[in-house]
Amino acid sequence: MADESEKKVEASQPRRRRRPSPRIDQFRRTWYFFRRNTLAMIGLGILVFFAALFVSSFFYPADPTELTTYVATNGNPVNPNATQQQICTYEPGMGELPPGPNCYATPNGMPSVIAPTVNLHPATLGPLPFGSLTQNPGSAPFYDPFDGLVKGTQWSLTVSVGVVASGALIGILAGVVSGYYGGVVDEVVMRITDIFLSIPGLLLVIIVLAVLAGSVTSLWGRMSYVIFAFVVTWWPTYARIVRSQVLITREQRYVEAAKASGARGGRILRKHIMPNSIYPVFVQMSLDVGTVPLLIAAIVFIGFRLFPVTNFPEWGTIAALSSQPSVLSGFIEVCQSQQGAACTFPWWQFLFPGLTLFLFAISVSFFADGLRDALDPRLRR
Amino acid sequence: MRLWIYIVRRLIMVIPVVVGVMTLTFLLVSAVPTSDRLASAFGVSPRLSWNQYIPCSRINPDENGTCINPAWVRGTHELGLDKPIPYQWAIYMSNSLTGKWGYVGNDSGVATTVSIARGQPVLTVLGWFLPYTLELAALALTMTLFMAVPIGNIAAVNRNRPVDQASRILSFSGYAIPDFMLGSLMLMMFVLVIGGPNVHSPFCHGQSAYTDFTGSWPPPQCFPNGVYPSWLVMGQISSPTGFPTVDALIHGQWWLALDTIIRIMIPAFVIAYGTAADLLRFVRNSMLEVLNLDFIRSARAKGLPERTVIKKHAGRNSLNVTITVLGLVFVGFLGGFPIIEYLFDLNGVGIMLAYSVTQTPYDYGIIFGSTVLFTLLIVTANLIVDVLYAYLDPRVRLG
Repeated sequence: MADESEKKVEASQPRRRRRPSPRIDQFRRTWYFFRRNTLAMIGLGILVFFAALFVSSFFYPADPTELTTYVATNGNPVNPNATQQQICTYEPGMGELPPGPNCYATPNGMPSVIAPTVNLHPATLGPLPFGSLTQNPGSAPFYDPFDGLVKGTQWSLTVSVGVVASGALIGILAGVVSGYYGGVVDEVVMRITDIFLSIPGLLLVIIVLAVLAGSVTSLWGRMSYVIFAFVVTWWPTYARIVRSQVLITREQRYVEAAKASGARGGRILRKHIMPNSIYPVFVQMSLDVGTVPLLIAAIVFIGFRLFPVTNFPEWGTIAALSSQPSVLSGFIEVCQSQQGAACTFPWWQFLFPGLTLFLFAISVSFFADGLRDALDPRLRR
Repeated sequence: MRLWIYIVRRLIMVIPVVVGVMTLTFLLVSAVPTSDRLASAFGVSPRLSWNQYIPCSRINPDENGTCINPAWVRGTHELGLDKPIPYQWAIYMSNSLTGKWGYVGNDSGVATTVSIARGQPVLTVLGWFLPYTLELAALALTMTLFMAVPIGNIAAVNRNRPVDQASRILSFSGYAIPDFMLGSLMLMMFVLVIGGPNVHSPFCHGQSAYTDFTGSWPPPQCFPNGVYPSWLVMGQISSPTGFPTVDALIHGQWWLALDTIIRIMIPAFVIAYGTAADLLRFVRNSMLEVLNLDFIRSARAKGLPERTVIKKHAGRNSLNVTITVLGLVFVGFLGGFPIIEYLFDLNGVGIMLAYSVTQTPYDYGIIFGSTVLFTLLIVTANLIVDVLYAYLDPRVRLG
């Protein structure tokens, strides 16, 4: 009874809400403007999807360190006792009939090329929802890109976020120090960033890894070297951005006031300058998260062994495997040997890995654009 | 300030960057195993390996019973590896600056795929391939500018209209599609669907320029008797300039020049697409800023036609900003070359880099050589861009 009466008393009094701290307030305002930007919300939606995929990829029941390989039976029934997993295929153009149920047609002369499968009767995606990813259309083994892309989410996102977070950390520290202290420190840090920025990122990653990680073969050892090499490439961008912001921030009145009231350099940096000059870095960070898998793809594409195995399930690697020049020339050879007969263009092999990279990069870029618009008062409409 | 004083000042600022990049490569080279480093610096040893110890049957054992390789001792001494690090650095710098960039290995990816490069000095090999890269770069840069500047200006003039949205999509897609995927799709399209741009050679007239894309280009059957003319064979006889198109024109083979350009047209477009996507936004934004300035209003107020205002007044002024960005864009631009050259099997520095890291043992000479070469290209490009900017905009020189 007493409790109820107390509650009543409390309710009758005007609610004393604590005013939220300025940072939460700012976050609310940013979110308000962000929400009104359609493209940014689309980007956020796709990112949420990728985040869900990331979490679920840890529970995916397959070896997360290698792409799943299948062998096409090419007109024979599936042998369940074979060492490698088999998928029943047949070539209808050669007058062959399916040797059993759940058998998939392959184009002429390409026994390892299977179009995306959908099983209508049991209403499943079939064994290869994204089709096959072949390294040689004429030979039987091929990879499963769907499986690989799902498993790859954990690696791609881990590497991207790891690279961007550590790169930003180093870049922010270097940028704040160089921007705030100026003079010789500034000059030295900026010349160092000049040096790093005048080497193409692809080359820098390759030379760092080729030299330092040549003999590292363990998965996590290799992975940390990869992240290290990317961080080496990435930090100067952040340092530049932060420095230019700090140069503006340090002339503000509140910094002057803090100095006048006797705050030390470290405190001013930590409490006043850093929080007020790192917002542009968030934008750049979210842009870069999408760029890292693209750069990985490019490096793997030219044949550099970034990961311990060639068929590592990572988005960039899968994309790079799908469009190797040797694979392309394999397709072209088969097509040209068929002398005018209709030739299958294996679009799925390029589309799905490419689409994954594309969607990820474009969603973070939409997100970053929206974030920039929401954070910058001048761009708000 | 006079323009030449600005140029000299800018040239002096180049020195720390070049020295810094070489110091960085020196630090990385120091981590390379000594035997690999010696092999790359002095070429593959004809008689003894570059290992520190060799079987004692080859040489008399020393007092400890082990046999130290005399070639190893001599090599480490010459590179200063037995001296303090600053001394090693000085030797490395002087070797780099005097063109002693080492030798291509015997069993590396470069040596197995480009047999004429085997055992040759790195600088010579890169010198053969650099003109091809420069030709591709020139074409790609032209395409980039012709794509980015007009589209960016049109997008700025029609701000937030469908044209602007389309340019935004173009720019996003260029950023998010990996260039090798765009390249391989275009390659497949040209070969399988369209049939490819045709060769104009009198001897293999009408064939697709990309059908034979895994082989050497142009194929030997395009020449009389199936033999390459002597001036075309890389590394055999010095061709007048080294640039394939220019050489072909000098020798009066206009069709070969045409074929060479046709061959690099699609690769250049793929590189230009990615770069133009970057540049487009800068052009658009700088145009928007210029369009808001007072002199544009004055020009309109005095009754000039809109076309003249945009082309003469706004366009020229926004170009200044575009030029400064070109330097930034150039880094990403050159970074695309290894990928595109590898995909289209074009001769160039980029494909050398790709071959040098494809198999172990890596070809450290080529890796570091092409890094330094690309860096020099970028530094030079930045220098040209800055000087051009100072020439166009006198305010920069005064600052």
